Parts: sequence; structure tokens; C-alpha cells
Amino acid sequence: MYSIKRHPWFFALLFAPALLLVGGLLLYPILNGIWLSFTNASPLRPTTDFVGLGNYIYLFEDPQFWEVLGNTVFICGVSTIFCTVLGLIVALLLDSGIRYVGFFRAAVFQVWVVPWIVIAILWGWLFNDEWGIVNHFLRSIGVVDGQMAWLFETELAPWVVIFAYSWRAVPFVMVIALAALQGIPKEIQEAAEIDGAGYFNRLRHILLPLLQNIVMTAALLEAVRFLQEVTIPLVLTQGGPIGSTNVLSLFTYKAAFTEWDFGLAAAAGTFWLIFVILFAGIYNRFALRKSA
Amino acid sequence: MTQSLTMNRSASPSRMSRTLRRRANMAMLYVCVTALVMVMLIPVGWMVSTSFKPLKDVFQIPPRWIPDVITFQNYAAQFNEVLGTLTLNSLIVAVCAAALSTFVGAMTAYGISRFRFRGGPILMLFFMGSLAFPVPLIMISLYGLFVKLGLLNTYGALVLGHTAITIPVSIWLLKNFFDQLPREVEEAAYVDGATPLKVFLFIVLPMARPALAASAIFVFVVSWNELLFGLTFTSSTDMRPLPAGITLIFLQEFEGAWSEMMALAVIVSVPVLVLFFFFQKTFLRGVTAGAVKG
Repeated sequence: MYSIKRHPWFFALLFAPALLLVGGLLLYPILNGIWLSFTNASPLRPTTDFVGLGNYIYLFEDPQFWEVLGNTVFICGVSTIFCTVLGLIVALLLDSGIRYVGFFRAAVFQVWVVPWIVIAILWGWLFNDEWGIVNHFLRSIGVVDGQMAWLFETELAPWVVIFAYSWRAVPFVMVIALAALQGIPKEIQEAAEIDGAGYFNRLRHILLPLLQNIVMTAALLEAVRFLQEVTIPLVLTQGGPIGSTNVLSLFTYKAAFTEWDFGLAAAAGTFWLIFVILFAGIYNRFALRKSA
Repeated sequence: MTQSLTMNRSASPSRMSRTLRRRANMAMLYVCVTALVMVMLIPVGWMVSTSFKPLKDVFQIPPRWIPDVITFQNYAAQFNEVLGTLTLNSLIVAVCAAALSTFVGAMTAYGISRFRFRGGPILMLFFMGSLAFPVPLIMISLYGLFVKLGLLNTYGALVLGHTAITIPVSIWLLKNFFDQLPREVEEAAYVDGATPLKVFLFIVLPMARPALAASAIFVFVVSWNELLFGLTFTSSTDMRPLPAGITLIFLQEFEGAWSEMMALAVIVSVPVLVLFFFFQKTFLRGVTAGAVKG
């Protein structure tokens, strides 16, 4: 509609504030952060020196860092799978011709605005070993007879985090999948039904292929968000017990603002950035269906 | 064709059992959906239930969903100066961030939508990609920047930080909206002699109210949630937002008074839940528009 030649001032006016904000608060920090990863920068040191790949070598020789990477992939990966599968199931159920869809959708979706700090507190109560309702439920159906020390055992604590992440993200996948389902013309399904295709056949050959790109994109968005998430590990489990819920976001934050080792934290953050870019590239290639 | 199909169906002897089976299937569906929704809501329900119990009833076994005695004591205990300050801080920061991110986002989105230039698609890709920028990595340089600008321990640091991490989403959301907005009205006003700026401010923005609201609510929710900036860029209680304040004050003093803790959790959730309740449609449209279209 407008051209830059005819309206240069309007163009400049529209983009100036974003240039300042995005340039100063996103682009500069990310580029400067990558640069700092090659230095020994720290607010506790008067001078900053170039150290080459020193920070990266230190990280990769540190067994704790590998453990952190393992925890991150496990917690974020399992949470992404859980929330995608569950969100998809809820969406399919809601789109199966029942009434009050809006009511059910709103009831589930409000979970998506519950603040993370509230989830951290609430999860501590639900998974409390003595009086927690989770342990009570498990005892009453006879799965365990004593107490499961959810927050104090290295095998259990990551699951507490995973349940929190999945629970909070189900509504997002559900809303996206439901919107996509409602966009599929009813004629396609009716035609298949007349041809004698049962529900699971229609699901497999019509609905899931049509949903694949949207749901897989929602899953990627959630995975990226889980990587950024830090409240539950920081507040509820403090990375423990014995580092079992120490994830990359918490590790990077602590390296920077507890140990004030900006160089090392920047290296961990840069590694994280490269990992996400590579992962998204591979994911884009294999998980998404290309339109011909 | 249709007629013969219906006739066949009504003539078939199994018609009765088929409707019955349909009904039974539908009933099963309602049971499944209701059960799933209830499972999703159990944590929130338990939080509310616990918050109305006297402390001694919290440790009852078996636990009770409906408290024997309902008390408001746990809520009354939260009305203190510290929580008031934290809530006010969070409100100020979230409202300012929502306004800044949405307004600047709208300008940028309008520019990308209405100007044809080569960088447009690349910019949108950059904004999408910036969602993956590790927040702690960004914070390292922001910390240095805010020290230089004298912004540490002010609302400014938090507002700018929250704007930085939300403006990409605001731009995406609003650009999708502007792309679908018919241009005839703008073109007519422009031909009538209005300047592009006036067209944007007085014609486009009022038409974009639902999208602006969706963006503002999104930013508000993110800001209300954000912990790390609050922990790092503020150092005194009178500047701290809720998540950081709760972590550093309430959880440090916590000694097992779960009923009061749940009341606090309810109070912290209420503003975003109310916002969601009133703007549900707008909010849902905002969340789905970007993902389904793009």
C-alpha cells in the first residue's frame, strides 16, 4: 500500500521505536552474549580478557554440565510428548459432536493462565510426602502403602516437574488443535463416513494427517517454552535433589547471577541457542509435512 | 439419492439398536470429557479447598474436598503491607509492559503489513526465532546495560525486560490481524487527504481493538508470571514484583502453614483469571490466530 520512496518519514516513524527496543534489548544482548562466551567476563573482575574456547572446553569437561543436558532433554522432551498427546486427545473429544464445547474449552484453558509461581507452591502441596493428595490417592487405590518422597528422591523429582509442565501446557495444544479441527470442512468426514470408514480409520487417514503440521508446530513452540521455563526448578526443587532437576535454564541463570561468571554462563547460553536452532532445523525437515 | 438412503435406513430392523448405540456412544463421550476436564481442574480445586480450611483440618486423613469448617482467616492473614506492595509493583509493571509492547508492536506490525520491502519476511522470521533466545543469556548483557543507564531496582528495568521478551509475539499477532484487515477504508481516508499517521492512529488502531486487547492480555500474563528479571534487576521490596517477592520473602518464612500458602496462591492467580474470564473470546482468538494461520 505504501512505498518507502513516497513515505520515508512515516516508514521511519513506524520502525524507530521497535528498532530501539528490539535492537537494544534483544539483538545487542544476544550478540554481546555470544561475544562474552569467549571471554572471562565477570562483575567481580576488574578486566575482561579473551579466553577463546576456554569456557566451552570447561563446560564440556564438566560432568555436571552433561548431567544438566540430560535432565533438560528428559524433562522438556517427556513434557512435550505428554502435553501434545493429551492436548490432542482432549481436542478430538471436544470436536466429536458434543455440546457445551465452549464451556469445556474455557474450563480447561484457564489452566494456561495459572501463574508459574502458583504452580510451584501448589505442586509442593499436592506432592507433599505426608499429607499430599497425590500420595493419598496412590495409597487409596493400593499402588503404594507408605509415602512416596516425590521431592526428595532423584528418580521421582523430575516427574514432579514433568507433571507440572505437561499440565500447564495441555490447554495450549488443545486450543490450537481444536481450532484446526473446527477448520476442517465437515464434508470430508461425512464423505468418509458414508464410504464406511469407522472413527479410528477417519482419525488415522484424514484427521491426523490434516492436523500434523499445526500440532507439531504447537509442540515445537511448547518445547522451546519449556527450555526457557525456570520457576519450578528454581523455586520448588532448587535443582535438586542431587541435581536431578537442574536444567539448562537454571544452570545458566545460576552461573550468571549466583556465581557471577558471565563468561561461563554466556557459553552455556550460546550452546543452548545453537542447540535450539539445530533442533528446530532438523525438526522442520522431518516432523512437518511439506505441501507439494 | 438421499431419499433412498434414508428410506433404506428407516426400513432396516436394526434402526432402534443403532440409535441406542449412538446415544450410548454420546453418553460415553460426555463422561470421558467431563472426567478429563475434572482431572485437569483437580489441582486448582484442591488449592481453593485448602485455602478455606483451618490449619488443623489441612492435615486430616482422609483429606476432605468440602471443608468441615469454612474459614476466611487464611485470606485475612494475607492483607498485609508486603503483599500489597508486591501486588501493586506487579500491576504497574504488567500494565506498562502491556501498553509499551502492544503499542510499539502495533506500529511495527502495521509497517511490515503495509510497506512492501525486502526485509519484511526476514524480520518476521527474526521475531519468531527470538522466542528461542535464552532469557538468561539476554539478561547478562541487559544487566550491564541497566547498570549503565541507572535502571537497576526501578520499574523501568522490569518494563523494558518484559517488553523485550513479549514484543515478538505482539508483532506476530498484530501483523496477522492487519494482513486480514481490508484496506479500502484506509485508502479512502488517505485519498480524502488524511496523513498516513492520522490514518494509522484514528482509523486503523480503533479497528484493531480486539487484536490490541489480545496482545495486551498476553503481555500482562507473561509479565505477571516472570520470575528471573524480578529476582535479578530489583533489590528492594518496594520494587519487587510478586513472583520474586514470594520466592524471597514468603517462601523463606514458610513453616508448613499450607492453608495460608494456598490462600496466597489463590490471591496471586485471581487477577489473571479475572482478566481471562472477561476477555476469553479475544484471548483465545489471539492465541489461535497466529498458530493456525502462520
